Amino acid sequence: MTKIQLLDLIAQHAREIVPGLDAHQFLASDRLADLGANSVDRAEIAMLVQESLGLSVARVELFGPKNIGELADLFLQKLDAG
Amino acid sequence: MPAKSVVTGMGVISAIGQGKAAFVAALLDGKTAFDTMRRPGRQLDSAYIGAEIRDMVVPLGIARQTLRGASLSAQAALVVLQEAWTEARLSDVDPRRIGLIVGGSNIQQRELVLIHEGYRDRSIFLRPTYGLSFMDSDLCGFCTAQFGIRGLAYTVGGASASGQLAITQAAQAVLADQVDVCIALGALMDLSHWECRGLRALGAMGSDRYANEPALACRPFDRDHDGFIFGESCGAVVIESAKSTEHRGLEPHAILCGWGIAMDGNRNPDPSLEGEMQAIQNALDASRLLPAQIDYVNPHGTGSTIGDETELKALHACGLTDAYLNATKSLIGHGLSAAGTVEVIATLLQMQAGQLHPTRNLENPIDPTLNWVKHEPIDYPIENALTLSMGFGGINTALCWQRA
Repeated sequence: MTKIQLLDLIAQHAREIVPGLDAHQFLASDRLADLGANSVDRAEIAMLVQESLGLSVARVELFGPKNIGELADLFLQKLDAG
Repeated sequence: MPAKSVVTGMGVISAIGQGKAAFVAALLDGKTAFDTMRRPGRQLDSAYIGAEIRDMVVPLGIARQTLRGASLSAQAALVVLQEAWTEARLSDVDPRRIGLIVGGSNIQQRELVLIHEGYRDRSIFLRPTYGLSFMDSDLCGFCTAQFGIRGLAYTVGGASASGQLAITQAAQAVLADQVDVCIALGALMDLSHWECRGLRALGAMGSDRYANEPALACRPFDRDHDGFIFGESCGAVVIESAKSTEHRGLEPHAILCGWGIAMDGNRNPDPSLEGEMQAIQNALDASRLLPAQIDYVNPHGTGSTIGDETELKALHACGLTDAYLNATKSLIGHGLSAAGTVEVIATLLQMQAGQLHPTRNLENPIDPTLNWVKHEPIDYPIENALTLSMGFGGINTALCWQRA
């Protein structure tokens, strides 16, 4: 899976959870909080991505990434390690 | 005079109609919607009969993402609160002076079963929202967030009397000046097949007798009754002091004159004549009304053999034999947590219409001496009405209403 594909996956799940993002063009520098996702929304999005990838990441590790690009990197790293 | 509060807004949804206008029209027409239930999670090697809401229309402007995380009970709450909120013009009230009491506990059982079953083999991916939503009080959070309510909000549980209990608590909050306006919500009880199984096993839910004839199964006060039939419903009632309404120039639906609550001191589902009489008497005393002044009784009337009998004995014992009677549950089924609120709404809408709705399947009343509204609606002006609820655990509630 490429980083672009992972960003698309994150965007797809973000649109499922947060209102008003249907037409938003996602960038790697986007922060989910700035897009209107509260902490529960962010947990939901991260979980949906994990389920789509068949991958489980410790909650504490998800606190690290500062934007969706870094989140995609974290997931890519876990996929490579798996 | 005792302190009184008034009703300035109502919202309702049931299997026979969404919104007050559709609901009262369906009641007066004697419409029903009983069938073998089809909602996912309602059947397991079973064919329980009930009345399910089809095609719920949610208010415009609610994001699909909000609805995605909303249980059936939460969606129904949103619908009825929107209707009641608009009618009572609550956007003109200081949100810090608005409260919400949610009547019902363990209301989202089917939703929980679906989640448990859906994630059985993939529990590590359980939706984080489940950590919030498994609690009934999530409904308080969900609704206060949607409507910006900043006063008080909590849930109250009284089994099938929860809906009436919520109204009494909302009135208390208003009369104690904790808030100016308090909304009582009779939450939609979303039964799973497990609760249906338990209620059948207990002998509370029918119908063995009419398993193949869903339209005939729900028959409160009829000689052939064999238990209650479930029906999804939800209602919201806006309670406030008469003074609070003056600023907004509203015409109240009715006055809540007084109420009574009494316990049987009995955990079991069997009713108590003494407990029911006590609740009725307390309500009449609090309202300073005599039994002969009550024109209409909206009874609990579930279709339970002993429950129906005991309730009619209580009406006799309290001198309420002149009042007209019908059974709202014969049309919409038993909403359990929602029943008390929705039946109050049915009562106030009949009061406004000057008409009483028919009682379905009341072929041979177990007590033919009472003033039943049987097959056809009747025109009748109601000045004072009494609404009754009883719940497992021995709770009895009675509310007295007066035309505003």
